[in-house]
Amino acid sequence: MSDNAPDKQISDATQVSRRGFISWMSIGWLTFAATMGGFATMVGRFLFPNVLFEPSQSFKAGVPEEYQPNSVSTAFKAKQRVWIVRTDDRIFALLAKCTHLGCTPNWLANENKFKCPCHGSGFRITGINYEGPAPRPLERVQISLADDGRIQLDKAVTFRHEKGDWEHPDSYLMV
Amino acid sequence: MRESIQHFINTLSQPTISFLILFFLFFFIFPPNAWFHRINRKLGLEALWTVKGGIAIFASMTALLIFGGFDANFRSIILKPDNVPIILLLFGSIFFLWLSMHQAMQNDRRLRGDEPPEEWVKESDRKVLVWPDLVYIELIAMVLCMVLLLVWSIVLKAPLEEPADPSATPNPSKAPWYFLALQEMLVYFDPWLAGVVFPTLIIVGLMAIPYMDTDRSTSGFYSYEKRRTFISLFLFGWLVLWVYMIIVGTFLRGPGWNFFGPFERWDLHKVVALNNVNVSEIVYVKMLGQTLPDGILIREGPGILLILVYFLVIPPLLAKTSLKGFFNRMGSVKYSFFIFFCLTALSLPLKMLSRWFLNLKYFIATPWFNI
Amino acid sequence: MAKDKKNYNPFKSLIWKSIFRTAVPTEKRGRMMQVLNNVFLHLHPVAVPKHSVKVKYTWCMGGLTFFVFLVLTVTGVLLMFYYRPTVENAYTDIIDLGETTPLGIMREIHRWGAHLMVITVWLHMFRVFMTGAYKPPREFNWAIGVILLVLTMLLSFTGYLLPWDQLAIWAITVGSNMAAATPLLGREGPGAALVSIGDINLVTPQSDAKFGLLGESEVRGMALLRFYVFHCVAFPLVAVVFMAVHFWRVRKDGGVSGPM
Repeated sequence: MSDNAPDKQISDATQVSRRGFISWMSIGWLTFAATMGGFATMVGRFLFPNVLFEPSQSFKAGVPEEYQPNSVSTAFKAKQRVWIVRTDDRIFALLAKCTHLGCTPNWLANENKFKCPCHGSGFRITGINYEGPAPRPLERVQISLADDGRIQLDKAVTFRHEKGDWEHPDSYLMV
Repeated sequence: MRESIQHFINTLSQPTISFLILFFLFFFIFPPNAWFHRINRKLGLEALWTVKGGIAIFASMTALLIFGGFDANFRSIILKPDNVPIILLLFGSIFFLWLSMHQAMQNDRRLRGDEPPEEWVKESDRKVLVWPDLVYIELIAMVLCMVLLLVWSIVLKAPLEEPADPSATPNPSKAPWYFLALQEMLVYFDPWLAGVVFPTLIIVGLMAIPYMDTDRSTSGFYSYEKRRTFISLFLFGWLVLWVYMIIVGTFLRGPGWNFFGPFERWDLHKVVALNNVNVSEIVYVKMLGQTLPDGILIREGPGILLILVYFLVIPPLLAKTSLKGFFNRMGSVKYSFFIFFCLTALSLPLKMLSRWFLNLKYFIATPWFNI
Repeated sequence: MAKDKKNYNPFKSLIWKSIFRTAVPTEKRGRMMQVLNNVFLHLHPVAVPKHSVKVKYTWCMGGLTFFVFLVLTVTGVLLMFYYRPTVENAYTDIIDLGETTPLGIMREIHRWGAHLMVITVWLHMFRVFMTGAYKPPREFNWAIGVILLVLTMLLSFTGYLLPWDQLAIWAITVGSNMAAATPLLGREGPGAALVSIGDINLVTPQSDAKFGLLGESEVRGMALLRFYVFHCVAFPLVAVVFMAVHFWRVRKDGGVSGPM
């Protein structure tokens, strides 16, 4: 650094003007905040893995003739969390997950509705919500006929009524 | 005789009734301003905080508990291991409420007579040595606490239910008891409000208290009269919006999240018709006799207007009228924050009341969010 | 060693003094040194205002909260010897803790202690409010206290999942679905569709706030592991740091509050 006037250097350094001090302070704090923010982002990113080892989302569910008109099949609820509903002319699959806070509703055949035990949301057989706090209808999952004539379901693709998805040909099967 | 009392208690404890009683009685018991304070004194409600009043409160609470204990249904709820802490909380919070109010009343009397509060000690003999005067108290407290914990652990087994099963939701299924006030809010507000925005505001609001209430002259001793606005509002939040909600959520919410009186059998098939409507439907369909307009802004206009009035018109109005002195003392910034937190807290009881009496579902309902 | 047995005082022995530095104090100076020379007692000042040692003033709630936290730490570490946070083992390990482990109430102490700590924290806060002790100069310490309150509840909440029973997963399912409703950051939250680059939505079940909490899209094995780490390591460490600041500030802000 300086070899001729160390004393001057020191006195220069100690006499920082107010404006200079404030700008150095802000640069210091900004750098500190940016570094901390950078570390926090890295930690945050670390918590989201690149590859997910989740169980397969698609499965087969028998032939369409197995399902009675105007009934709800609960056969796949325990394993796959899906109800298969047949109305007069269509078969579709509803995800057994309440749109309020994700509890599993129950199908009450006598009262002809899905009722959620957590906060009392109720859905008609079509999946439309009509009572309780649920903000929107249940979701349908992708349904198609496989080559062997059995019903193929894929939970990775869902269809929401409020977005108009239920008109999508993959959201139901005609019978 | 017993059945008619039970029936009476069942009716009384319905949230529509019990909450209304609590809501209106509360500010007379804990007056927030001079007007309420006068009525409080006239009714002699300060007697609650005397020793006799305390004994009366506890005798009636214990009597109620013992009376309830004869009923099998009631007994099974209060003796559920995870509900025992709530009994502890109930008695604890009432006891310490009484203790603090008792001392506050004593100090208020001393302050009125120009005496210093009881906690104040002459400068000359102010200090005591930590060893041994404090450490032996700490030792006794720790030993008693450990004894309580050990006895509790030996007598009551920690609950363990069936193994986890993602396909079968138990009915009812409840959050841990200390979150039940939040779960109760979920009945009235959408999850993003009840689960995220309100908890955040509770935390921020609590942290903001000392930055709004900065009067140092009432720091460090129990008192009520000089701090009545803040104490009254804080107690309203703590006792009514938190402890009461926990008790409702634990003891009175049954299958289907339906409401059941303490002596009512939990009927799995109880059906309560819930046909809730939005503000837009109330205004356009019921009041104006029209169909709902198509444009979303026009349709939700009344609800948006209501919320804007609530948060933007009411605060200046209050500042000009009933809270004038308060506004002048606090300044506009502190006042704005203060009134915002108060109105947000009050929005919960208001939404509850409008749900019960107007069947209101949402003020604003859009495909993206509902309020 | 020709030592006179009658005059032998163990409190003045070399070993005693090497550990405690002072003999058992009987006079004022010794008592002050007792506090100053001990790292644990040094949390306290040497002398405190008279009213602040009265139980009816402080209710001991802050101190008891700390004590229960210590009990929870000790019992928690002991439980970690037997408990494995996997879907296959968690539930049976919890049963074994009651049935086959000696002193089978360790889990009870831990669970009831957790409930007790929530209660004592709330009552401590209530006491501080009712005495107006949060007012300047203690306003920052009150804010630290609020953070500790939140941490206590988060610790309790994360611990709730570990037994892996019905109570556990449904409470956590409901709780974590609230995270899914976070505005902008949750898959179900308002404005989530706005967070996107072109046509690619950034907030999906694989990337939202709920996923960050659980480590997967639903409550399964990864969520159990993640909650275990939060419960046993992350939150306690954060809590200890905030406790240190809290205790330090109690002293720096003038000790237990009292009338001016």
